[in-house]
Parts: sequence; structure tokens; C-alpha cells
Amino acid sequence: MLSFYEVFYRFLEGPHVAEMDYDLDFDQKLRDTVNKYGVKYDPKNPIPQDDQLADNVFAAGLEFYEKIGSYCVDTLRVARFTKREIFEALAEAPGEPVFGKGKDAKKLTARPPESSRAPWFFIGAAGAAVTDERVLSAIVEGYGLVPYGDSITTPSITRINGRPIIAKTPLEILGAIRTVEVSKAALRKAGRAGMPIMNAISTSTTDASKIAGSQFGLNPADGLMVGSMSELKMDFQRLNEIAYALHAGSNIVAESGPLLGGYCGGPEGVAVANVAYHLQGILVQRGSTHFTFPIHFKFSSNTTRNTLWATSISNQAISRNSKFPLLTSGILASGPGTEMCFYENAARTIATCVSGGGILAVGVAKNVQTDHLTPWDPKFSVEIALATLGMKRDIANEIVTDLLSKYESKIPDAPVGKSFQELFNIETLEPGAEYRELYYQMKDEMTTYGLKFAT
Amino acid sequence: MIGGPMSEEKIFTDLKNAIIELDDAKVVEAAKTLIDQGINPLAGIEKGLSSGMTVIGDQFNLGECFLPELIRAGNTFNAGMKVLEPEIMKLGENQSQVGVVVLGTVTGDVHKIGKEILAMLLKTRGFVVHNLGEDVSLSTFVSKAEELKADIIGMSALLTTTMPAQKEVIDFLKEKEIRDNFLIMVGGGPVNQEWSDEIGADGYAETAEEAVRLALKLVDTKN
Repeated sequence: MLSFYEVFYRFLEGPHVAEMDYDLDFDQKLRDTVNKYGVKYDPKNPIPQDDQLADNVFAAGLEFYEKIGSYCVDTLRVARFTKREIFEALAEAPGEPVFGKGKDAKKLTARPPESSRAPWFFIGAAGAAVTDERVLSAIVEGYGLVPYGDSITTPSITRINGRPIIAKTPLEILGAIRTVEVSKAALRKAGRAGMPIMNAISTSTTDASKIAGSQFGLNPADGLMVGSMSELKMDFQRLNEIAYALHAGSNIVAESGPLLGGYCGGPEGVAVANVAYHLQGILVQRGSTHFTFPIHFKFSSNTTRNTLWATSISNQAISRNSKFPLLTSGILASGPGTEMCFYENAARTIATCVSGGGILAVGVAKNVQTDHLTPWDPKFSVEIALATLGMKRDIANEIVTDLLSKYESKIPDAPVGKSFQELFNIETLEPGAEYRELYYQMKDEMTTYGLKFAT
Repeated sequence: MIGGPMSEEKIFTDLKNAIIELDDAKVVEAAKTLIDQGINPLAGIEKGLSSGMTVIGDQFNLGECFLPELIRAGNTFNAGMKVLEPEIMKLGENQSQVGVVVLGTVTGDVHKIGKEILAMLLKTRGFVVHNLGEDVSLSTFVSKAEELKADIIGMSALLTTTMPAQKEVIDFLKEKEIRDNFLIMVGGGPVNQEWSDEIGADGYAETAEEAVRLALKLVDTKN
């Protein structure tokens, strides 16, 4: 595989392209590729069951990435890769990276659609905001207590020393450092000292604060999350983070979020672009794993029918054709403590689980309401996933279709639910009676779909 | 011309359809025909080009087309305007515009696509939009708004750590005693009405579609 610096030199020496021209070229080449491979969205089947379609999506993504390459917004140049270079990257991509330390260390491996092997459980609402360190500590400890959790992502604190954290300032550096320190301590309190934090510094907007934060308790067995800009774009800050992580021997979590309604167009484009992101995650972002969250432009969530389809078929495409592990995040429109939140969570979890993805559980209330997240939303997702192991896609499709009928029309005005402090005792980390009752009521309802829970 | 002059309605329809079909050649041809027949170019904009942009905006809001179509429709609109603008200058008339907007993602934040969608939707409703891009500094927001005599300053922030930059711009305008020269709209994932009220913005919208309605309402109230 090309070295990171060979890739970087292409960002310095590749062809100059104006950003808008790249964006429109992205759109045109994606349309052409989607048409060439006959990729067609089928709203009646949010969980597609056609292996040939999945393989076509993968082939389309590969061809698309070969044609479009990745863009650097600092040099206005495109780094393109030959088919041979992309195949080499796929062949040499990490296949079983180890995250975590001690008894919490574990290999993260790809799994095929309909697998009876449990997916990786990446616990947390990636980047969701919490007010301060006290709430951060309670939430992270709660994450550490989620049974079968393999890794966590921390929330972002919004205030420190009683002041709002401001991007690109010393307060951001301090916020990044405190996030790592508080989260590591909280995991120790939960008895999961070695549990890997795969996104500890979501407060950071700069390479400086991310790298600074990582000096205060992260180790290479954790993961530094390095995101792509939309669509298929990088900048020097992100490339700096990669250079740092590579020299520190650290796992990188290669993040992407193709936007339905943006330059990817509709669900077909999102599916094919997601495969291209997978390839960029290996070659450019130098990931140990690919983490993706296709998202709807209007509803800022990914439980709509078309985003479920796009995510499912691209997960199938990737997991059938690549050993580079894939994690997929659910981002729910509704918030904690609402029935809709459980329905969305179940639909998203089942869709990912049967399509071959690892699971990030779970963004709630569109990930934008401060303190609107609980440790029991991921717990529900884990329970649903374990009850889904080995399920066939046609059965999953029936269940998800029925779940969609319960929440789909409510997405535009989804309820934001309640905050962690309203639903849980922040000292004991126990849910209040109201939430606990709803949780078990919803779990019981899931048994009507044939899901069997261990407890 | 074979078959004699086209009716005004036919030319307006051709302009409108050229936008909907994203057809630059067709829009140029229809615009030239309009001028050849001595029809007021401002009517061509209002009943042809803008009408087509409204259709594209509506299609986008219904999920029937996406950002690339909005951009390409904008390019087709500009191709038509290039033909019509010299004639408008000759007439010495001003093109009616709903308002001038300077729009950007605040400093420290490089999120782009939501703001791009809003920029294009505002254009479909007749606003003149100056898209300042991403990671836009306080000084750029203020200097561009003053230079372009903006009606609206629109600021996007997708991160909790970049939201304070929206407040910084408003505080600066207040201290310079020019706050009331502009309508200020804020948006972005973590932004909400409560934040908008707290920092003294004129309005917040959750989606691009709602933001367009808000912008129309704000300029209407101002006028």
C-alpha cells in the first residue's frame, strides 16, 4: 500500500481543481457510476436482500473512488489513486486491529451480513454535548457499565471553569485534556480501566487540541478519530492528526458522514459514496477501522427509510468485499424517554446488525440537544443486536418495515425527549421509575417480533 | 424567425423550463429571443428565471432533487442573467431583489453543505446571497456585511464550541452601534431558539427550508 507520505505528496502535487468544480464533478461521476452499475433504491425493502446488488455497489464505489479521488481544501488539489493502488490498499488494510488494554483488549474484525457473531459495540452518542465535567463523568461511567460494550465515544463538554468552551482557544485545549482525564477516571470507576476510547476528544476542532488531549491519558490502543470533510475532502489539520497518530503507533478511527440530499444526491449515491469513503479510510485516513454515519440533510438523523436503505446496502457491500472493519452509527431523530426513540433505535440496530456492520450506539435527539443522552439507549441497542444475531435479511426487512410504520411520519417533528438528569439519578446512575418502566415495556414489545432476549 | 414572433408567455415558459431542465443553452436562446422581441428583461427574470428557480426550490424541499441540482439551476440562472443584464442596464432599471444576505460558517467550523443548501434555496426565492464560505472570521462577517449593505447576516455553527462565535459577531456589532443595521439569523446542529434569544439574534431556523421562510418574514417585517 502507498505510504501515508506518498499519499500526502499527491495532495501537494496532484492536479489543481477549484472546489466547486470538484463538488460538481463528484456529483456527475457519482451519477454516472450509479447508472452504470444499475444501483436503484427500493423503498419497499429498506433492508435489501440482493447479494449481487451489494457487490455492484462495492464495484461502483471502487470505480467511483478511482475516478474522483480525495480533495485537499488547503492545496485545492486532488489525490487520485489507480485501481491497482486501491486493490493493494484493500488487500493490506488492517483486518483485526486490537483496541483496548488488559482484560478489555479485543480484536475488531469485519463480519458478513446475517452473521451469528456479535458485532463490535461502540458505546456512546458520538460528539453529543453535555453541560460539564460532572455530567460527562456520569455518562461515561454509565457507558462503561453497559454489558458487552467494547469501546466508548465520549460526549463533548460545552463548559469548563464555568465558561463556554470556544473553538481555537486555550479553553478548547483545556476541554480536550479534561475530557480525556475525566473519561479515563470514569471508566476506571466502572471497572473498565482498559476499555478503549475510540473518540475521546470530540470537543476538539483543531489538530492542536486533539493532539494535546491525547497526551493526558490516551494510549495507542485507544483510537484517535480522524474525520473526513464532506464529501471526500481533507485538510492539513486532519492530515496532521494522521501524521501524529501514525508516529505514535495509535489506532485511527476513520470517520465519514455522507450526506443524503447533498452532493451524494439520493440514497443510491450515498450507498456508493459510503464505499468510496471506506477506501479513503484505508488509503488516506490510515484507519484501523472505518466508522460511518450516512445522514439525512433535512432531518439530521439516519432512521429515515432512504438512509436505512443506503446504509444497509453499503454495509452489505463493504462487509462482503472488505476485511477492513466497519462501524456504523445510528443517529435518531427523537430523544431519550420517548417510545419513538426505542422504535428508531431498534430499526437502526437491526438494519446494521444483519447488514454486516459493527454498531455505534447511539446518537439520540439528532445528537444536538445538550444532555439528551443516556447509557440505556446504547444498552437497548446492544440487547436488540444480540437478539438479532443470525437473523436473515428478509425477516429483518419485515421487522424494520413495521417499525418504520410506527415512527416514520413523526420524524419531521420528532420529540426531543428528556435529559439525562431528568431520566436518571446522576449519583447512582439508576434510571427513574418512569424510564425504567418504559424501557422494559418497549423490550417486551420487541418480543412480538420474535426477538428473544437473554434476560 | 420561422413562424413569426413567439408570445411573451411562451418565452417566459421557455426560460422557466430551461432552469428546471438545467439547460444553459436553452436559457441563453430564450433570453436572446426575449430581447429580440423587445420584452422587458425584468419581466423575463420575474416570470421566467425566478419562476423556474422557485420550482427547483420546491422540488428540493419535497426531496425530489438535491443540492447538485440547486447549484446547476443557479448556474443556468446566471447564464440567463448574463444575457439579460446588459439590457437591464440600458433601461436604467433595477432588478427587484428580496434582500441581500451574507452567509457563512463561523470561525473554527468547516461544516459546509447545510449552509450551501441554504444559500441556494435563498437564491431560489430571490435573495442576493454572498456566501463567505467556512471558518469565517468575525472581521470578515462585519466588513462584508457593511461593504455589501447586507439586509441579513446568516451564521452557521455545527459545533457547541463554535456557537460562541455567533455571539461574538453580535456583541461586536452592538459595541460598534451598528447592530440594528442588520437582521441576524443563526443556525446549525446544536443551535436552537433559546440560544438565538440568549445572544440577541433576530431568528433561528432548524432547517434550510424554515430558514428561507424566516428570512422572507424578517425582511418583510423590516420593510
